[in-house]
Order: sequence, then structure tokens, then C-alpha cells
Amino acid sequence: MGNKTTEIRVKYENILSYDINELVNMSAEYRDRCCKNKKHENTKMFFCNDTQEIESLQSMACNMLRFFHKQKISKDFRWKAALVSCGTLQVLQCKCERHKKEKVCTQLNTHNKEDTETGEQSKKKCNQEFCELKENTSSLRSCWNKFEKIISR
Amino acid sequence: MTRTSTVLSIFVLFLHTTFGESGCTSVDGDGTFGDDEPDNFDINCFSQLEFKDSYSSLTCNFIELPPDNTNYTLALCNKEDSNYVCFNMEKREDAYFLQFTDILSNKDICMDSETKRRVCRSLVVTDMVKPEVPFNVNITYQKEANEYLIHYSTPHSWKKYLQDKLIHQIAYRQEEGTWKTIESPYLQVKLLGKNLENDASYEVKVRSQPNGDFFKGTWSEWSASKSFRTTREQNFMESYSNVVLVILSILGFMLSVVMIVLIGTFWENRIKPAVWPNLPDHKKTLEQLCKKPKNNFDISFNPENFGYVHIHKVDDIQAKTEQETFLPPSNAPETNLPGKFRSGSDLKMIPAMTDKSNPNLPVTYGGIWPSEALHRLLGTSQTAVTEGNCSSSTYEVCHSSGVPLHDDGFNHSSAPSSDPSVQPGPEPLNGDTISQMLPTGEMRSPNNEEAYVTMSSFYKIQ
Repeated sequence: MGNKTTEIRVKYENILSYDINELVNMSAEYRDRCCKNKKHENTKMFFCNDTQEIESLQSMACNMLRFFHKQKISKDFRWKAALVSCGTLQVLQCKCERHKKEKVCTQLNTHNKEDTETGEQSKKKCNQEFCELKENTSSLRSCWNKFEKIISR
Repeated sequence: MTRTSTVLSIFVLFLHTTFGESGCTSVDGDGTFGDDEPDNFDINCFSQLEFKDSYSSLTCNFIELPPDNTNYTLALCNKEDSNYVCFNMEKREDAYFLQFTDILSNKDICMDSETKRRVCRSLVVTDMVKPEVPFNVNITYQKEANEYLIHYSTPHSWKKYLQDKLIHQIAYRQEEGTWKTIESPYLQVKLLGKNLENDASYEVKVRSQPNGDFFKGTWSEWSASKSFRTTREQNFMESYSNVVLVILSILGFMLSVVMIVLIGTFWENRIKPAVWPNLPDHKKTLEQLCKKPKNNFDISFNPENFGYVHIHKVDDIQAKTEQETFLPPSNAPETNLPGKFRSGSDLKMIPAMTDKSNPNLPVTYGGIWPSEALHRLLGTSQTAVTEGNCSSSTYEVCHSSGVPLHDDGFNHSSAPSSDPSVQPGPEPLNGDTISQMLPTGEMRSPNNEEAYVTMSSFYKIQ
């Protein structure tokens, strides 16, 4: 188990953490005024439960994968979010309940970004899916920070 | 029956030996194919992280080229549970290339051929990283330190994974000489000028490698070479002259400060009086010398009016020993003598005395003339001078000096003192004395008259 946590910590510190920070910075560039004003219904909340950080991270990563085909979200942002989700699952050696989601990771590996379906992200109307993905991203980063401090001890 | 079983066993044994080790995935513990069949493949691969946006790349080539008549394909495969997902690599000349995004998972590199089964080997992308080539190599000479600063750039400075995780190797050499290397994790190094030849041409190039903490791999390609020429030996002399110049400047500054302090200290007392001496104001000087007469100034020649004045009887004359103040004798002393003071005997003495005496002889009332002076001036024996008429002759001389003080000396009825040892107290010439005689101005030597006349005129002006 010690080697396992060490491997997780090393991969997170040298690779995954940079991808997560890049994703968070990317989400900050998009206008999200509506995300603050409006409380979205049917928004699934994710918590980083104590002693269950790995399970929480798995849940967040699998949830983020479902946004990969949401065309209302910008291609670059959902592509990057999918990379972070797949990286999280790879580092933790976890799987999603639905295998279909993991096929996204396979597509990401060699699939050209330009081949991804493109959709225009509306800048005028509030994009609920974007807000959910953004919030999911923030939760994922917070939980990873918490988990890293635990395994670094 | 027995024969058949024997043949079958031999056949099975033959099959086992021929097919048992034709590994599909004959992988040793470390993933190599050390003792496998010749149909295993020996390839060399390297990965490049973030070579294009978020994509990384894998490039492989055969160390030993397979026979030309055989087509081989290389594929990068991921083990996902029971699934084995592979992606074929693109053949580019003698190398195989593939770009991908996932660098976290463990992968396998597999070789497929038309005649052979797939052969795979494990591959860790982060352990075979080949960084990109450094660029923009520049050399700057730092004159003061006599050092050559070599700085360069790497594309990984603005990427994510390999930033600050590289070791750079700097190679330099003199023209056509042997290469010397320096390794540094930073983007600049310094070459000491003292370790290089003077006035020589050098060549520099740089390459990079992962530092090995997490990412491992191989050296990148060498950067483009950059040449520079070292300076001449004058640098030492120039620096030495600069040091001397600095020292001299400091000394000069300190000397200037000291001079300024000294000038400020001694300006009033010494420098200014020497440069601009205060010329005495004649008028003020004379005012100090010639005091104004009192309102109740008594001018009288009646001796009885001066009864309160302490009068010193002058019996003889004292001349100063400073002979250089003697003026040349006057030819007409007799006319200046007052008539009432003349007597026969006195007159006899006077001419001799006055002829030879120096009227301007600085005398004091009291004391004795030095014998040398007397001999020179009088030309007579000392006894003759002091015989009997000493006082009268003294008075005459006193008169010639211009300052008669009292009347006793003119009283011929009284017995003059013939004792040359008598030395009346000296009466220094002072302003009162002078002022007393100024109104008369009759019994003065010619030169003293001039002085008194002048002073008198000043007094009159006042």
C-alpha cells in the first residue's frame, strides 16, 4: 500500500497537478456571471469525504466525463476536462460504473481534437452545463489537494 | 502400440520445443527479450512530451533492420482489463511515429508482421523522454569580472511537465580542439577568462536531459554552435590601471577635503592677513599716539605751576646701545640751542659735543652712555666729558634730543654732579613729554623737528 500511495503521489505531483491547474485557469477565462447568480437545479453536489477521498475523486472524474460530448461547452475546455478525468482514473487505477465513459479516454488517447464535434458556446445565455462542469472541476482540485496532503505525510 | 506411443511422445516433445518458446508475450521480468527467438525485435524508442499542445509523441526505430521483404508494423497498446487497445505507429522513413495524450498509463510496444505473431514489450513513456533542442545560445563577456556568460533557452520553459526538471550540458572547445563539458540545471553558466586562452576563438553548444527525479531519458540533440573570441591580455593591465586610477582619485579627494578644512580653520587668523594685510590707517594710528590734550591742559613755563609734577633731575644722559639707530651728525647744532642756556663753558663743550654727537641719538634720561659711543662721538676722554659740566653738557645734549624736563639742569648756580656714576632714573619719552615740547619746537634736532612738525600739524588738524 505504501508503494501504491507513493506512486499515486508522484504521478499527481509531476503530471496530473499541472493538468488540473491548467483546466482551472481555462475555466476562469470564460464568463461565468450567471453561475454565481443562479442556483442550478438538479445539480449534483460532490463532496470529498474524509477517509473516502479516492472514492470521491473517482465519482467526480466519472461525472466529468459525461460532459465530453456536450457541444454547448467549448471544445478545448471539455477536451481538457476529459483529459483530467481520465488522468485521475488512471492514477487511482479506478473505473467508472459505466464502461462507456472510459471509452472516452481511449478516444482521447489518439483521437485528434479537430475531429471532435464542435459546438458554439453561447456567451449570452447562461450555460448550465458549463457551470456544472466548472464547479465539478473546482471540487476535483480541492479534493486532490486534500488527498495529496494525506498521502504526503 | 508401444511403438506408436513412443512416436507420439517424441512428436509431442518436438512440438513443445519448437512452439513452446515462440512467445506471444515472451517477456522477461524486466520486459526485455534477452534470450528470445531471433524473431524478437530490437528497437530503440524515445518520447517527447508536449511536443504539440497537449500531445506527446513516441518515436521508434529498429536497431537491426528486418529483412526488406518483410513488412512490419509497430503499435502502441494499452492494457485495459481484458481489452488490449492498440494504435499503429506511422512509419516515417526509417522510424515509426505516434502522438498520444496519455502518459500516465503503462503501455506496450508491439511489432506485427505478416509472417510472425505479434510481439510486444512494455514501455514507460516517462522513462524515455528526449527533451527538445535548446536554442538561442549567446555569449556575453563581463569585463570587470573577466568572465564569459553563456546563456541559452529551451522550449520546455513555457511547458508544463519538464520545466525546471532538466539538466543542461554545455560543451566548448578552442578551434579544432577537444570538447570540454559543463553541466548545469540553470539556463546560464560562466566561463572564467583566466581558464581560457587569450585572443583565441572558441565554439559552444548545448543539449538537455531530464534530471532523473521522475522523468528519465536521453540527451536531446545538440543546439546550433556559437563562436566567440576571447580578449587579449591587456585586460589585466587595464584592470590594474583602473585600480591605480581609483586609488589616486580617492587620495586626491581626501587631500582636497583636508585642504578645505585647513583653509577654513586658518583663514581668519593667518591666510587672510597674509593675503590682504591690514594697512594701518595713519590718522587712527596718530590719534592713538597723539592723545588729545585735556581741556585743563596747563601750558606754562613757570616752574612753580608744575610743583605737583614729579620732576626727575637729569644729570646725565643714557644712550641706547643700539648704534645702528644713530643718525649722521648735524652741522648746525648751535643755532638750535636756546640762548639762555648757553654759557661760555657750555658753549665750549657743546660744539665739541654737538659736532660729534649725534643729535638723533636715542637717549633716555638716566643711565650712562656706552663708552664706545661716547668715544666715537665725542672723540675726547671720558673724563673731559664728565668733568664739571656734565650736567650742563648733558642738558645740552638733552636739548639736542629735544626733551627738556626740568629746570634744574639749567641752573648753573647749582653744582653739577661730576660723578659719572650718577644715573638719574630714566624718563621714557611719552606722549605727554612730547606734547609739552611740541608748542615750543625750538630746541629740537633737525630730523626730530621734522617729525614733531609733522605730528604737530596732525594735532592742529585735529
